Amino acid sequence: MPYHTFKCSECIPERKKHVVVKGEDEDLTSCLPLGYLKTIPGTISERGCAFCGAKHVIGTPMKDVIHLCHGPVGCTYDTWQTKRYISDNDNFQFKYTFASDMKEKHIVFGAENLLKQNIIEAFKAFPEIKRMTIYQTCAPALIGDDIDAVAKEVMDTMPDVDIFVCNSPGFAGPSQSGGHHLINIAWINQKVGTFEPKITSDYVINYVGEYNIQGDQEVMVDYFKRMGIQVLSTFTGNGSYDELRGMHLAQLNVLECARSAEYICNELRKRYGTPRLDIDGFGFKPLSESLLKVGLFFGLEKEAQAIIDEETARWKPELDWYARRLKGVKVCLWPGGSKLWHWAHVIHEEMGVDVVSLYTKFGHQGDMEKGIARCEAGALAIDDPNELEGIEAMKKLKPDVIFTGVRPGEVAKKLRVQYINAHAYHNGPYKGFEGWVRFARDIYNAVYSPIHQLSGLDISKDEIDTDKGFMTRQMISDVKIDKEAAIVSGERQYTGDYDCVSKLRDKKYPKIEKQSLSIE
Amino acid sequence: MDDIIQEQVEQLVDYIMKWCLWQFNSRAWDREDQNEGILMKTMQILCDEPVERETPSDKCYWVEAVILARDFKDNYPWLSKMEKNEIKILMKGLKEQIDYLTITGSLNKELTNPVY
Repeated sequence: MPYHTFKCSECIPERKKHVVVKGEDEDLTSCLPLGYLKTIPGTISERGCAFCGAKHVIGTPMKDVIHLCHGPVGCTYDTWQTKRYISDNDNFQFKYTFASDMKEKHIVFGAENLLKQNIIEAFKAFPEIKRMTIYQTCAPALIGDDIDAVAKEVMDTMPDVDIFVCNSPGFAGPSQSGGHHLINIAWINQKVGTFEPKITSDYVINYVGEYNIQGDQEVMVDYFKRMGIQVLSTFTGNGSYDELRGMHLAQLNVLECARSAEYICNELRKRYGTPRLDIDGFGFKPLSESLLKVGLFFGLEKEAQAIIDEETARWKPELDWYARRLKGVKVCLWPGGSKLWHWAHVIHEEMGVDVVSLYTKFGHQGDMEKGIARCEAGALAIDDPNELEGIEAMKKLKPDVIFTGVRPGEVAKKLRVQYINAHAYHNGPYKGFEGWVRFARDIYNAVYSPIHQLSGLDISKDEIDTDKGFMTRQMISDVKIDKEAAIVSGERQYTGDYDCVSKLRDKKYPKIEKQSLSIE
Repeated sequence: MDDIIQEQVEQLVDYIMKWCLWQFNSRAWDREDQNEGILMKTMQILCDEPVERETPSDKCYWVEAVILARDFKDNYPWLSKMEKNEIKILMKGLKEQIDYLTITGSLNKELTNPVY
């Protein structure tokens, strides 16, 4: 096994089996790190907790819901707005965060009454919202507060409201991934099958494992609607509580992030016979094939192909402009879970960048299987890294840019390594054809930023040329390209709008003739 | 299996491992079903044989198989020069290798978990 030991982790020998180098002749039977295990004592992990995974990854993107956290205020406040999961209802779920604000006296005397008061108060403060999710945290879980009983009591006295209880305290798993699992199963056990949304198409899907980061979901739903498909529910980005109660009525579950939401797809398959189709919404080729797969399933291949042709013609010359300038850029692909495999191959194939390392904070071995299978030989694959390992890897590999979260991203900046926010994005959406160009543009802007170059100068001792102006990005990037070839092929920089999502919200979709019902 | 077929199997394995996701469902029994369903249907498409797609799961396998067969033909021109019996030998070798990499030889400790 091609294990790698970081110098900084020699004092924690267990870490060795969490890091491998993909050699030329390695395959998955000889090269796979351990994963989804409890963090080893002594290593300072970058992971989140199971509460955060349940609430802030899966639960909170639901848009028409009061999301109430039962616990000390810090549990919700300090994890609030960690991702930009926007919604088309003025971001209600994003603007407000609710907590029962448990204090020491509630630990002694119990916090069920406090929770009940908070539920009623929240519904009164926002009378137009009739749905609520309540998230368990460590403190009330340890004292045994019965949240289900409190929720039932309130629903008995307020019959127009509906409440979902998520019992995923912070300690309920080795990482946020434990929380993903718990909330998936809780939702199907408590809520699926309790509501019947209106079916408006002959072709009906649930779009699962999609969180509408900066509008990803809205871009993808636009494609599905243009094909004549009804997206009955999205689990959970920009998703509606009641639509998600009707997940059992779809004909197909289209799964994007298998890491966070395969559980509910698998259960829907087992309990309702709804099949699961995994797709990749990132990159021209994977996205095109994903749309074709969904189209083939419903006999809408022609409609899917028309979208692919139109979008490719519009955006490919812009992707090519960036790809020409990104060739050979070294990347550490260090996201949380699924982007490790969504991006590992396609950023290399379509943008020409080289993935020199991949890591996952909370992924399972299955995620590493996908990532290692897709990346090029030589990549360093790390499970559940600590900050020192990240620093050592960056010093050794000398990447031009890393794709990661805010915390490790800030560490990278201190080493003068640029970073792209892989969780919340910089200028997303990154899904869709246009989104993929926006991602390429963000990488380009990061790698060739003149500020980045200037930050390497120390004005107290370095010689500064005073007779030269500042370099622009293009002056830096174009040194290595054949400009004449680029002009002939019609390549150009991104020409889309600053906001490419809002306009989709008022769009009308044509009636598809083959359908028995009209699509609005 | 001769060396040429072996080499061709390796090329197809590399393609699947890079571009597909269906072979990586999280449990061993699920991977067995996926590998069998999709690769059998891919073989049938490549050999112009009828393909079962009545049940929802068969339809999903068929969808994956259609895309895979197209990609194979586009990327590996030698495939169109093969006889049908050769394609069957090739696809049998491919199935064995994918099963080995994702199930029987896999180091993934979660594959045998009895629940999802």
